[in-house]
Amino acid sequence: MIRDLQGFMKLNRFQAPLVPSAPLLHLSPKTRRRCLFAERVTPPATSFQLEPAGRETQAEGEEVRPRPRFLLRSHSCRTAAMGAGCPRCSPPLPPHPSLPPPCSAAEQLLPREPLRPRAVSGGAGKGAGPRGAGPGGRGRGARRGGAGAVGPPRRPAAMEQAPPDAPRQLQPAPLEPLGLPDAGLQAAAGEEEEGAREEGPADGTMTENNFWLKKIEISVSEAEKRTGRNAMNMQETYTAYLIETRSVDHTDGQSVLTDSLWRRYSEFELLRNYLLVYYPHVVVPPLPEKRAEFVWHKLSADNMDPDFVERRRIGLENFLLRVASHPILCRDKIFYLFLTQEGNWKETVNETGFQLKADSRLKALNATFRVKNPDKRFTELKHYSDELQSVISHLLRVRARVADRLYGVYKVHGNYGRVFSEWSAIEKEMGDGLQSAGHHMDVYASSIDDILEDEEHYADQLKEYLFYAEALRAVCRKHELMQYDLEMAAQDLASKKQQCEELATGTVRTFSLKGMTTKLFGQETPEQREARIKVLEEQINEGEQQLKSKNLEGREFVKNAWADIERFKEQKNHDLKEALISYAVMQISMCKKGIQVWTNAKECFSKM
Amino acid sequence: MSGGPPRGLPSTGPHSLLDMPHPLAGSSSEEAVGGDSTPSPDLLTARSFGDKDLILPNGGTPAGTSSPASSSSLLNRLQLDDDIDGETRDLFVTVDDPKKHVCTMETYITYRITTKSTRVEFDLPEYSVRRRYQDFDWLRNKLEESQPTHLIPPLPEKFVVKGVVDRFSEEFVETRRKALDKFLKRITDHPVLSFNEHFNVFLTAKDLNAYKKQGMALLTRVGESVKHVTGGYKLRSRPLEFAAIGDYLDTFALKLGTIDRIAQRIIKEEIEYLVELREYGPVYSTWSALEGELSEPLEGVSACIGNCSTALEELTDDMTEDFLPVLREYILYSDSMKSVLKKRDQVQAEYEAKLEAVALRKEDRPKVPADVEKCQDRMECFNADLKADMERWQSNKRQDFRQLLMGMADKNIQYYEKCLMAWESIIPLLQEKQEAKQKTAWHLDFEVVWQLNYI
Repeated sequence: MIRDLQGFMKLNRFQAPLVPSAPLLHLSPKTRRRCLFAERVTPPATSFQLEPAGRETQAEGEEVRPRPRFLLRSHSCRTAAMGAGCPRCSPPLPPHPSLPPPCSAAEQLLPREPLRPRAVSGGAGKGAGPRGAGPGGRGRGARRGGAGAVGPPRRPAAMEQAPPDAPRQLQPAPLEPLGLPDAGLQAAAGEEEEGAREEGPADGTMTENNFWLKKIEISVSEAEKRTGRNAMNMQETYTAYLIETRSVDHTDGQSVLTDSLWRRYSEFELLRNYLLVYYPHVVVPPLPEKRAEFVWHKLSADNMDPDFVERRRIGLENFLLRVASHPILCRDKIFYLFLTQEGNWKETVNETGFQLKADSRLKALNATFRVKNPDKRFTELKHYSDELQSVISHLLRVRARVADRLYGVYKVHGNYGRVFSEWSAIEKEMGDGLQSAGHHMDVYASSIDDILEDEEHYADQLKEYLFYAEALRAVCRKHELMQYDLEMAAQDLASKKQQCEELATGTVRTFSLKGMTTKLFGQETPEQREARIKVLEEQINEGEQQLKSKNLEGREFVKNAWADIERFKEQKNHDLKEALISYAVMQISMCKKGIQVWTNAKECFSKM
Repeated sequence: MSGGPPRGLPSTGPHSLLDMPHPLAGSSSEEAVGGDSTPSPDLLTARSFGDKDLILPNGGTPAGTSSPASSSSLLNRLQLDDDIDGETRDLFVTVDDPKKHVCTMETYITYRITTKSTRVEFDLPEYSVRRRYQDFDWLRNKLEESQPTHLIPPLPEKFVVKGVVDRFSEEFVETRRKALDKFLKRITDHPVLSFNEHFNVFLTAKDLNAYKKQGMALLTRVGESVKHVTGGYKLRSRPLEFAAIGDYLDTFALKLGTIDRIAQRIIKEEIEYLVELREYGPVYSTWSALEGELSEPLEGVSACIGNCSTALEELTDDMTEDFLPVLREYILYSDSMKSVLKKRDQVQAEYEAKLEAVALRKEDRPKVPADVEKCQDRMECFNADLKADMERWQSNKRQDFRQLLMGMADKNIQYYEKCLMAWESIIPLLQEKQEAKQKTAWHLDFEVVWQLNYI
């Protein structure tokens, strides 16, 4: 039954749908990783490697992932295709996402063109080619190669190609070129790398069809501890993560490394903040936690702890995959540059001025806007996200305690191991049985470590949704804020209209300061009144326009936001179900292990 | 307390015993209890003991300690055993039905002791008496007094270990009942102790108190003789095998103490784990209330965790009831073994002292005096008795621990099997849902209406 299940899950995970309207982002970490480690780079001598010992040996070994326990990790979205999205996770978007450039992004982001035409032009020649080469990452990538080893050899030509920062305003979201096989990058993965090198420039021969079948793989493949100087010129230690992107030729399934560059956590944060501002209607995928929370006490909470770094590496990879599989976010230029351009990326992000656009009111967490006509669905959603957050955090807390206790139960059994073997020394007939039973008790006690590490992975999955709850709430808050603005504008307009009416008819309906002054200082002259009425009318006109646009903007927002929320719900249900299944599978394997160990022990006892 | 008039019970010899139907032929449950524990080792040691008894110059009454009937009945018994194949028992004792007695002065619990026997010492085939803990204590003291050369099984502790406060709680009484039952069974199984007159009285007397008072006046010879042995005398050489037993017992007690502590600690950890699990499950229920589609799977997980905690509770209960008492018994056993060893050392010391005294006067009188010879006999008997008991005990121990540890493994296996079943049962639930979901995924409705009521 279990085997069936796993087969089932695998099926689900890897059925990347082929939607021919956009290049696919194919994410199959396992195969990719194999290539990756085969061409493992010895880290620069100056950097301290965080990878667990024995990783080097994996180059020749079968064991591909350094921590196979994480293999279980899966998200439906891994299967998702860039741009197209997995049918389950992403709602069918209009092929032409006249993306409501939220806030006032409209001036900056030109309306996107349909993907297909652009792609053709990109595939045909220059436009995208260089971009595919991704000049950003070159410097480091080359240096990496120089450091001793490998990575697909790159031709210097590729490095010079294309200005690192093409004028952003004119460039529509650049995603199609991702898969473009630049001749210089065309190197076969793994051991065959040398032989498989292609010489001729592929650009010209690339057919359209071929191009569309290209997929992109993204991975965060390595973490490295570094020391550097921060803005204040203070010594600081941080962890950098290697991001690698590969294009996959669908026809032969080979993947080619197109880009690899290092990013640190703060840059991921920057990316996410940018996404939050630019896509307020999107439930932006959360980053993994900055500091370890809700862990059972045996796990270190140290930020530099290898286990933590490894879990964060997976979390960051997952974040990128989530963004890449998101139907809207994946088209973002900054995101693309994040993957491809190492230098100047920060500057590019800051040039977008997203920080200015960030609504400071959104950040004021406690501010509540008294909205007269709240949208019930969003109120409910907000309520739901609150509840979800509290229930998951409660769950995580209790789970950590459960894990602690379970750890205790197992480890105390380990004491039997010692006592049995000591006792066996004084027994004649019982000695052997006791001795080997003691050995089984040792095995039993040590089995808990793996079990709980697996469970930690489950906790990470839950944590992601804990943070998703926050993202969900951000959308609700944005909606609330827009509704608030709208109502304010409507109110303003109404009062102006009333004023105008009063002036025109000369009646004062309500007691007001103006009324008082009129009475005290005599009537205005008709000219003055005319002028004021005129001003007011202009203001009313303006206000009406504003209201109209706000109304429109709001409608657009709700439409998009709700679509994304629906997408999110689907994704959530699917992911959590998978998480529950994998949790159940973990429990089952724990039970089986337990039965096995105790059966062995029983056999020993029976020989006594 | 029980009885009816004595029927025409044959009171002579083994032959008539063979003719009459076994009193317990029908009650299979008790046979099973008695029969499966140690038929063959019992027979073996009984035989070896019997042999030794016969070889010893003093016969069956070493220092006059064995009950007079001992050696002859032993022979009878052996014959009986040989004749009825597989069935070595002719005495069955059970302790059950605890009852609480509340008087003005004190409150106590009595246990019903039912005895069935074909032995000639018992006038009736069946007795039923009520005894309280004090009576057991009296019996043990009497046995220790009258059979100093034998290993007397331990009684459960008089007072409860810290933690269980209520002396009259059901669990405590039940645990004690089991321990007392075990105590009597061990005596019953013993080839010498089961023929002890005090034991007989304990099982049969209507009014034990009367007998107790009468017994107070008597002071057995052995008790006296052992008492006035010089305590300070240092043994010249403890025989190797007894030294080994002593060392063994020290280590054994130490290890058992550790195991006992570990077992208690595990139970404690498991109970704490249980507490957390009890909180963990309902969180999933709370969550499931929030969700639509996920509701059922989450509820399933919650129920599953509930099942696991029930299984865990059973496990801890079983371990508390079955595992710990046996450990306790053996810890106490090692204490009583040590005290017997000490007595043996005293006897040897006495002998050596006398021997030395004789050696000093050896020139005067070349002949070894009779009392020294007697003393030597006594020591040899003691050694033989003790060795036999030790062997018995070793084989009992092996059997008991085998059963005990296998039981522990079984309990754990059962626990994991229950959990496994629970988790496996929810997988189809999760899977089914997922398949069903795929069908609906495409039918999403994105039509939304912007609500602004007042414009």
